[in-house]
Amino acid sequence: MPTKFRGVMQSPVTPLKDDFSLDLSTFERLLDFHVRTGATAISWPHHKGESLNLTISERKLFAEAAVRVVNGRIPVTIHVSALAVEDTMELARHAQRVGADGILAITPYFWTPSLAAIHAYFVRLCSSIGLPVLSYNSPSYLAGVEITGDLMSRLIEQLPNFMGVKEASFNSEKFLEISRAALSMRPDFAMLTGVEYLLPSVPLGGVGSYSAAGSICPNLCSQLFDACIAGDWPRARELQSKVSWLWLLFRDQYPSSLKGGMVMMGRPVGPTRAPLPTATKERQAYVHSELARLGILDTEPHGW
Amino acid sequence: MPAFQPGLVHTPVTPFTREGTLDLDLYAKLIEFHIGQGADALALPMHAGESVSLPDGERRALLAYAIKCVNGRKPVIAHVSETGTGIAAALARHAQEIGATAIVATTPYYWTPPPAMVLEHFAQIGAAVEIPFFLYNAPEDMQGTKVTAELCLKLIDRLGNFAGVVDLSLDWQFMIELMTDAPQRRPAFQLLAGTELMVSAGAIGATSMFAPLAGIAPKLVRTLCDLCRDQKLFEARAAQEAIAALRQAVKPGGVAGLKAAMRAMGRDCGEPRPPVLPLDAVAHQKLVGELDAIAALRAEPRGW
Repeated sequence: MPTKFRGVMQSPVTPLKDDFSLDLSTFERLLDFHVRTGATAISWPHHKGESLNLTISERKLFAEAAVRVVNGRIPVTIHVSALAVEDTMELARHAQRVGADGILAITPYFWTPSLAAIHAYFVRLCSSIGLPVLSYNSPSYLAGVEITGDLMSRLIEQLPNFMGVKEASFNSEKFLEISRAALSMRPDFAMLTGVEYLLPSVPLGGVGSYSAAGSICPNLCSQLFDACIAGDWPRARELQSKVSWLWLLFRDQYPSSLKGGMVMMGRPVGPTRAPLPTATKERQAYVHSELARLGILDTEPHGW
Repeated sequence: MPAFQPGLVHTPVTPFTREGTLDLDLYAKLIEFHIGQGADALALPMHAGESVSLPDGERRALLAYAIKCVNGRKPVIAHVSETGTGIAAALARHAQEIGATAIVATTPYYWTPPPAMVLEHFAQIGAAVEIPFFLYNAPEDMQGTKVTAELCLKLIDRLGNFAGVVDLSLDWQFMIELMTDAPQRRPAFQLLAGTELMVSAGAIGATSMFAPLAGIAPKLVRTLCDLCRDQKLFEARAAQEAIAALRQAVKPGGVAGLKAAMRAMGRDCGEPRPPVLPLDAVAHQKLVGELDAIAALRAEPRGW
């Protein structure tokens, strides 16, 4: 059976009020926007959702909201990575209790754990719940700490609910080494890229991605995925160029620039919590000019 | 200048006698093997050809000998990377004088220079010749010194003969940014896969490939390159995975692994020069076992 975690999956930002408290009603609106504009799944809170700037109780509150609002229309996974592994375990159990369809977890922060430690971590996490677990590989943000192809094989062999990876190295060899190890053992293992690098990953077994730009240009994201799956490479190259340019635009002060861009698209979601900056009016204007140049303002939904 | 498209570029090893001197008779035999096995062009001596272990006089003599052996049947790309800009530029001029079709050069060894220095280094090497100049982007080999798309755009403005980037960064972010921007300034600008990981690079727009494994598996690299150039990217995945397995087997031993694998295929080119040590018995046995396990190698030629 093909994985249910495929296509361009949206990881919403976290809307905040002007006093930096959680804005639940805008979050509900945003979730609904993503479902209506073609998201194939929801996953929250990624780093883009300021996960590490939220308290554990705030994360639980919005996790419940995500499951409730989406209401089974598409799968919902909860990102449970936290500085303390004990918090991760608690968030994972909570996700299961509130009815999420799966969880996502990065290799542990800060400690630059060995392969043995990463292995032990995922064994413990996967064994603690019955939900599908998606792993998250991001060596460039974590001092080179990564899940190798060999480690992936061992985890798949040992853990029936180890079901996929958000692969964010954006590197041909790293992606390929994981995909050829994983897919030979578990053909429905979900090979997903961290942001919409679908053009270089789909021909290697990729089945989708999480989205950086989906709150700005959901149509473009869906078109890119469709072109890749159809093997229409000239069109996919053209669309990928646009999406990748947006990633470079938003990567600068991520996710502040993205939140600034959402203002320009008529979907304001408030400021960004410190230490991340909030996009200034000037930054918003620059993002607006780039969105205009790329034709996004004319081809993508404005407002909610 | 009409665009020179290298296609499948074999990068031969450099054979040494037991005493460590250049074995030119064997080199002639090796060049015939590469031409007979479908190389569209040769690039030499690359790092796989132990360029950095050849004193200046030997390096020039080797190139001259290779060009004489090839005798115009295929283009020869001269690798002119050096630490000092002037030394590299002199190698480039020599290569042009004796009939090389193009030159290729990477960032300076050892200095880990900032971008402005890297730009000046390449600008002076490229300006030393009229033949096409390819930039070799190999940050992992070069202590992390990276080439950016911005640097390439500046180089396009300065050098009429800057023909493209041979990419070994394997970095999707870089490759896509490069192929979004550079062809707008220079329509004939090329991306070349710097090693046999061509599916992702081919999706992004690479039309040529450097193949250090061609001495081991010339049929497999030909198949991969042809499928990628024909944009049959889904069909290329099987060949890509077989080559990835070969690359993983050879890579830990570096050039010693490459030469040991050549020997295992019946094409002994001696051992590498110091400071590189030959594989020890355990590593050698492991390599041979891994090569035996790669089914695709059974279709490859044994001996000369």
